Amino acid sequence: MKEQDSIPTSKTQRSAKFVKTGFQVGGNYIKHYSKKLFNPTLNKDELNLDNATDIYNSLSELKGSALKVAQMLSMDKNILPKAYVDQFSLSLYNAPPLSGPLIVRTFTRYFGKTPFQIFDEFNISSTNAASIGQVHQASLEGKKLAVKIQYPGVGDSISSDLKMVKPFAFRLLGMSQKELEVYMSEVEERLLEETDYDLEIKRSIEFSEACKNIPNLIFPTYFPDLSSKRIITMGWLEGLHMKEFMKTNPSQEICNQVGQALWDFYNFQQHELRAVHADPHPGNFLITPDGKLGVIDFGCIKEMPADFYEPFFSMTSTNMLQDKIKTISTFRELEMIRKDDSPAQIEFFYQVYKEMIELFALPYMSQTFDFSKKEYFDNLYNYGERIARMPEFKQARGVKHFIYVNRTNFGLYNMLHELGAMVRTDTWKPHINTSK
Amino acid sequence: MAKKKTLISSEELQNAYVDYVLTHGSKPKSVYVFAKENNLAEEEFYNYFGSFEGIEQSIWTDLCQKALSEVENQEVWSKYSSREKALAFFYALIELLKSKRSFVLYSLKHSGMMLGTPAIITGVKNIFEAFATGIINQGIESGELADRRFFTAKYKDALWIQFGFILNFWTKDNSAGFEKTDEAIERGINVTFDLLEKSPLDGLLDYGKFMMNNGGIKQNMKF
Repeated sequence: MKEQDSIPTSKTQRSAKFVKTGFQVGGNYIKHYSKKLFNPTLNKDELNLDNATDIYNSLSELKGSALKVAQMLSMDKNILPKAYVDQFSLSLYNAPPLSGPLIVRTFTRYFGKTPFQIFDEFNISSTNAASIGQVHQASLEGKKLAVKIQYPGVGDSISSDLKMVKPFAFRLLGMSQKELEVYMSEVEERLLEETDYDLEIKRSIEFSEACKNIPNLIFPTYFPDLSSKRIITMGWLEGLHMKEFMKTNPSQEICNQVGQALWDFYNFQQHELRAVHADPHPGNFLITPDGKLGVIDFGCIKEMPADFYEPFFSMTSTNMLQDKIKTISTFRELEMIRKDDSPAQIEFFYQVYKEMIELFALPYMSQTFDFSKKEYFDNLYNYGERIARMPEFKQARGVKHFIYVNRTNFGLYNMLHELGAMVRTDTWKPHINTSK
Repeated sequence: MAKKKTLISSEELQNAYVDYVLTHGSKPKSVYVFAKENNLAEEEFYNYFGSFEGIEQSIWTDLCQKALSEVENQEVWSKYSSREKALAFFYALIELLKSKRSFVLYSLKHSGMMLGTPAIITGVKNIFEAFATGIINQGIESGELADRRFFTAKYKDALWIQFGFILNFWTKDNSAGFEKTDEAIERGINVTFDLLEKSPLDGLLDYGKFMMNNGGIKQNMKF
């Protein structure tokens, strides 16, 4: 990757960056269509790759929330064509680091001491970047620690960054402005929460405590005394991120074990805690040498209110889909079908959403599910691409909770697919009040 | 009336002076008045400082010196590149200024200008330039910074401009804990050092020079 020389500073500069990308993306379309004049068989893969590269280059020069948006887009594999996904996945791993003095400064600001005074050892160069911060290795009293430090000013720039991302999202996802508005506030809320390290450490401790009995799942120890608004200190977990882990050719047995831990972790949270770690991208997990799954980031938590949880999971865990009337009334509850829809629209959306829910719920329909099956994911992608092309989906549909719940579930499925894991899907079941 | 404690160090005199100007919003009428209030003979005052400007200047230079010695005593200091040394200095300085913010604001507001710089910080300029020259030379020696004929001598001026910019930014910063100033430092210093580093332009100039010295461009352009 090219070395980054400077962070675009002011909002105007950051905007300029986006404008430039806009031109480039526009240019890529021109390039594509002029080539297509001579070669009608050309498909859109090359165009998508060009676009993804330009957008990634531009986003990775911006810190913070813009990078976060790149990460989020990359999670929505079901919406985005594959070329986007491959480029965006890069953003999960690489972001340019903070200067050493600013790290020291952040420590003295919150603890009145330099990191070298606090820890026995502190590595001033970061081991890797999280999207809104970076991680350093340290040790204290013989314990190896991971210290996460947030970039200053991230919270401030979130709102302005989201505004700048909007025009891109319109073009990238082919969404209408109105549809985007519904979700932007939800995204902004989650992102702002993510910059609140005080909240993150509180949640990390709560969630790791609540989930401690799930087999093959481990959490780092958190050190609230060594944490603050911009710094989180936790125990160091040894392990590999999923991509590197898969390169070691792990046995099917180990993959299943890790996959099962991942599945249990999510379903336990959804159904027992009704709040879920909503950031299932590979950068937030480590696989330890003994085949356990380590969870290292609780920045993004999506709580599922009962008025969403009940209708949503009653569709997947009961035989409701056989009953058209009940299904439509649930779709209405979740605003997937709207009050002012015509009978023809109702029928159309009923069919499309029924297919979606059936696809989504397929793993739950049997006792075990093999996530290595390519056909299932091809079906998911095809469904997503088909929907993206339907003019009916240019407007807002579905309650705002869908954005993080979908992201969570498809992120989970994608990770299980990458693991090629076969998991038992009946370990934690939804609790639905069926007396209604 | 209990006698006030006699001031016996320059630091105590500085503090008394700061206290006076911040309470009264202006300088004492004369050294005589100020000395008397602090149970000092006027001539004793002159043992430490020549004038009120002298006191103010010394407060500034002391802050700057303190910031320098603080960063130089950090154990990572020797491992820092020139760029990081400049960053570390500014972070330390801004942190120290925080404890004297009211005075700093007062002092800058009441100071006359000398060649675009508040007169009161001319002493600081000397200290800072010595520091800047030191880290620039280190950077050139290590290859971190580009040695450009005619321009290298101006590098320290570029850093002094940043000093003025950061100080000014900080006086107007309303963010909690002056966090915005941290960002201004990180970005401003990085931009300045990006300009001082070797860039493609240096390569181009060097290449042009090579072509001039080796048979001339015109000859080589003809195939």
